[in-house]
Amino acid sequence: MNIDGELIAFFVFSLLAIGGAVFMINLTRVMHMALALAFALLSLAGIYILLEAPFLAVMHIMIYTGAVSVIMIFGIMLTKHKVDAHELEPPRFGFNLLSLLGTGLLFAIIMWVIYQFPFVTTGVESPAFKVQDLGAELFKQYMIPFEIASILLLAALIGAIVLARREENE
Amino acid sequence: MDWYIFVYPVILLAIVLVFVMYAIYFERKVIGWIQLRKGPTETGPKGLFQSAADVFKLLIKEDIIPSKADRPLFKLAPILAYVPAFSVLAVIPFTDAPYLKFSNVAVGLMYYLALSSITVMGVLLGGWASNNKYSLLGGMRAGAQMISYEIPLVLSVVGVVMSAGSLNLTEIVETQIAGAWNVFPQFLGFVVFIIAAIAELNRTPFDLPEAESELVAGYHTEYTGFRFAFFMLAEYTYVFAMASLITILFFGGWDAPFGLTFIPPLVWFILKFCCFVFLLFWLRATFPRLRGDQLMEFAWKGLLPLAIINIFVSALLKEVPFLSQYF
Repeated sequence: MNIDGELIAFFVFSLLAIGGAVFMINLTRVMHMALALAFALLSLAGIYILLEAPFLAVMHIMIYTGAVSVIMIFGIMLTKHKVDAHELEPPRFGFNLLSLLGTGLLFAIIMWVIYQFPFVTTGVESPAFKVQDLGAELFKQYMIPFEIASILLLAALIGAIVLARREENE
Repeated sequence: MDWYIFVYPVILLAIVLVFVMYAIYFERKVIGWIQLRKGPTETGPKGLFQSAADVFKLLIKEDIIPSKADRPLFKLAPILAYVPAFSVLAVIPFTDAPYLKFSNVAVGLMYYLALSSITVMGVLLGGWASNNKYSLLGGMRAGAQMISYEIPLVLSVVGVVMSAGSLNLTEIVETQIAGAWNVFPQFLGFVVFIIAAIAELNRTPFDLPEAESELVAGYHTEYTGFRFAFFMLAEYTYVFAMASLITILFFGGWDAPFGLTFIPPLVWFILKFCCFVFLLFWLRATFPRLRGDQLMEFAWKGLLPLAIINIFVSALLKEVPFLSQYF
């Protein structure tokens, strides 16, 4: 294995993403957790850039870091500032063991699926895929799935507005 | 990898810092001139060192963190606000010369719009971490405003992207040099963009997050010294970036009008850039502030439909035989 800039960048981004996830679980204040999550999502965008998918990376930043995380922080902003330490009850006996088993099982299944999947590992040179090609594919070949997905999202959006409205009137 | 990749960003940072200092100076001078005052006159010849003195004052001030504040977030927030403001400049092509653009990525426009949305997080966290009700309210207002106006901002450039057939800022300028400046065929998009851009910059008439008569100072009420300076720096760096972006998207970037090509492209860029910066100061001196509810209604019921109409019209006119060369 030769060590080049790409490999180093990959390890840095992975470390940041995993670090963000670990901090997200271990921090106690909700606001810090939201920020750690945003950081992990931002690091994932770096990995997309390494995979030469800049459009995906940029949309990832825009949607996950710029929109989802900000909306989460927005919601959390009006919550309590200080967390009392004794409010967090100690985990029950066997709880840790069970969660370890569960996550271990999940990890094993995911790894098994990844190893079963027939990835093309030979050095097949894919033709340069530009953003224009992405648009053409999306609006020519995958037009109907795209439209169905957008109608689904629109329905969800209108549903959210209707639900929020009803509560406002009561 | 060339050596200038490491040196030029440092030079750009210095240019941005000087721009910020003198933008503040000219802002005060221009507003003074419009309001029949003199503006700063005392420090240096014609008050030229006033901003430098202000910045120096901010840097040597005591660094105060409120005891009830969330210390790590309080320290992180100004950084989170400034870093995206400077990193968006990486994709701005100032001219077509290879040493005056840093990164010619294929999705430059989306990169700008995506990274600039991270600043909202810095503003929100700054407001929350201060543990002060005025800061919190200012942060919420700023967050709501920046999120709402980001949508018309993004939609209004879709027409430009469609006419250029690219998200790359250099290619957008090159199609304008070949055809017409986007401000003419995309006039509706331009109007929506400029209003949304001013709202994104939190400047008058959209400076509700810093409405001093209601909120003391908005999200940075508790900030002093260099942290406050960082928030201000982020704001003016966005003025720099947004003025560059408007020049590129709608005014043909470094393109020389009327065939006046003997003037270098960079000078044209700076001239167009300065016009937008002046417009911002002019608006600040002459417009009152909007009301909060009007602000949100205007974004969602006014600008958003207009931006969508602009996309429809551009798509239709792209198919008309004669007009298609401009769209």
